Amino acid sequence: MQGVIAAFGELDSTVHAIEDLRKQNFRDIAVYTPAPRHELEDAIAAPKSNVRRFTLIGGLLGVTFGYWVPIWISDYWPIVVGGKAVASWIPYTIIGFELMVLIGSLSTVFGMFALARLPRLTLTVGYDPRFSHGDFGVWVAAGPDRAPQATEVLRKHGALEVRHER
Amino acid sequence: MATMAKPRPPHLDGPNIAAAGNRLPSVQDYKQIDREIIATLKPTLGWFALLGSAILALFIGIGSWTYQIHEGLGAAGYQPPVMWGVYIVSFVFWVGIGHAGTLISAILYLFRAGFRTTIYRASEAMTVFAVMTAGLFPILHLGRPWKFFWLIPYPNWRLIWPNPKSPLVWDVFAILTYLTVSATFFYVGLIPDIAVLRDQETNPVRKRIFAALALGWRNSDTEWRHFTRAYLFLAAFATPLVLSVHSVVSFDFAMALVPGWHATIFPPYFVAGAIFSGIGMVFTIIIPIRKFMKLQHYVTINDLDAAAKLCLFTSSVVGLAYLTEFLVAWLSGNPVEQEYFWNRVFGQWAWSAWIMIICNMVLPLSLFSQKLRRNTTWLFILSIFINIGMWFERFVIVIPGLSHEYEPWQWGGYHPTWVDFGILLGSFGWFFMWFLLFIRQMPVMAIAEIKEIVPPPMRHVHGHPVTADGSHTTGGAH
Repeated sequence: MQGVIAAFGELDSTVHAIEDLRKQNFRDIAVYTPAPRHELEDAIAAPKSNVRRFTLIGGLLGVTFGYWVPIWISDYWPIVVGGKAVASWIPYTIIGFELMVLIGSLSTVFGMFALARLPRLTLTVGYDPRFSHGDFGVWVAAGPDRAPQATEVLRKHGALEVRHER
Repeated sequence: MATMAKPRPPHLDGPNIAAAGNRLPSVQDYKQIDREIIATLKPTLGWFALLGSAILALFIGIGSWTYQIHEGLGAAGYQPPVMWGVYIVSFVFWVGIGHAGTLISAILYLFRAGFRTTIYRASEAMTVFAVMTAGLFPILHLGRPWKFFWLIPYPNWRLIWPNPKSPLVWDVFAILTYLTVSATFFYVGLIPDIAVLRDQETNPVRKRIFAALALGWRNSDTEWRHFTRAYLFLAAFATPLVLSVHSVVSFDFAMALVPGWHATIFPPYFVAGAIFSGIGMVFTIIIPIRKFMKLQHYVTINDLDAAAKLCLFTSSVVGLAYLTEFLVAWLSGNPVEQEYFWNRVFGQWAWSAWIMIICNMVLPLSLFSQKLRRNTTWLFILSIFINIGMWFERFVIVIPGLSHEYEPWQWGGYHPTWVDFGILLGSFGWFFMWFLLFIRQMPVMAIAEIKEIVPPPMRHVHGHPVTADGSHTTGGAH
């Protein structure tokens, strides 16, 4: 994908550049930041993460499986003790809870990886090691016709460096 | 928008006094964090000496275990009626040590406790390695350790299944879940920091390893958005898990009809004890780390003071539980229970009970003094006492209970052998070997999270441009 990438040294310049780009109808924007910042999240106005759905489904599957395993074992290999329930849900709650946590956690991580497209074998074109170190990066998708406009906006807000990437 | 804090001007080099909105005043920018934390990865002679000692201790443990496998469990000093000994004591001890890490990384994360930020990575590593150590002990305790997997329910040709009503089976689920979830939580938190190492590394081999471990992390807003959500949910899962794991471990005792064990107080008592012992171990590892890795301006005295208050609180809960046990025995009117508790503090095992009481109840009272809470030497010495006291707490629970049951003719003694002590020493070697390897390969502090609490670099502060010397002018509002 063609676009322009810029490095910024300051947070507020980055936020203003993103806001200005969005005003000028640039929609495909990505930000690289050494640490998560609410300011950038607000400027990008991205939708809420869907990781929570993976957590919910994983947790429900886990708790179901966690009850099913001991109930099935008790039914298959009954230990009959003086009129007590062969399959007793109260002690099985421990196994149900543990498997809810286990499968819920693993599916949360799976969801994060799937939604964030991880693991990835190559870094995006334009990625710069500075973006994990101390600088902020702004990538904006722009064809040859709109690239000069994006460059101008980024420079106006104090970009340290602006590059065209293809 | 969230906070837009004023950065500390770079020319000021004043005392390290934290204020609201700026917890680490001596840390001025993101690059300084990377530089100083990556500098801790360089091995030193002292580190090699410690690693060598840990590996030596581990070999002593392996030698002792080999001897025990050859000779049988009798080599470990088991003698009826005491058929649980140092291994079960150490199992509970190491599971307990693991608890503080998850408390600090997950529970305090949900509570937004600022002091956790700089100490949680080391505590989390401690958790993972402590649970790895704890998991060895039930296997060491088996007569045929190679058949440990029989406790896991899986379809097998014998058509035999474990009893899911047994606390030992619950333990398998609880410990394996805890190990998996804490290791996952630990690794997920490490990914952005490994990406920093990948980007800063110059050695091509190490760079490739870090690149593989970072999974292609790029610090993009999409990645952070899903990461922060996933981290929150993992913390939310880990929080009840911490409380459940030691509760389940306590059921190993509380479900049995042994005097002193069969008590409903056990789950909260064990959880409080676990957190208390874990905080003790956090002090044992974090105080030398901050001193020898020169990270005093990250783990500030204020952070240690806050952790010491948590230590004092959990010590009080544990002390209350000790006293409540006596009250319950007294009110129960059960002579066996009363006899057991009398024997605990004035009889055969009085020495171990008093070590426990002095180390866990009396000495931590010193933390009421602010001066001692802020004295790192005292905190380190106290942490050693807490480690010893908490090992003896489990000794006091396991041994006197089994050696002094209902019938006087059944009463007996217990004498651990050199094999027990060799394996106990080996467990410390195993734990510290992993921990020492970790602190020189991975950042001992969470780089990305520290960057979150440091004021970000700003061009304009309160609408005024910042000049080259860090001050800002009154004109030129943007």
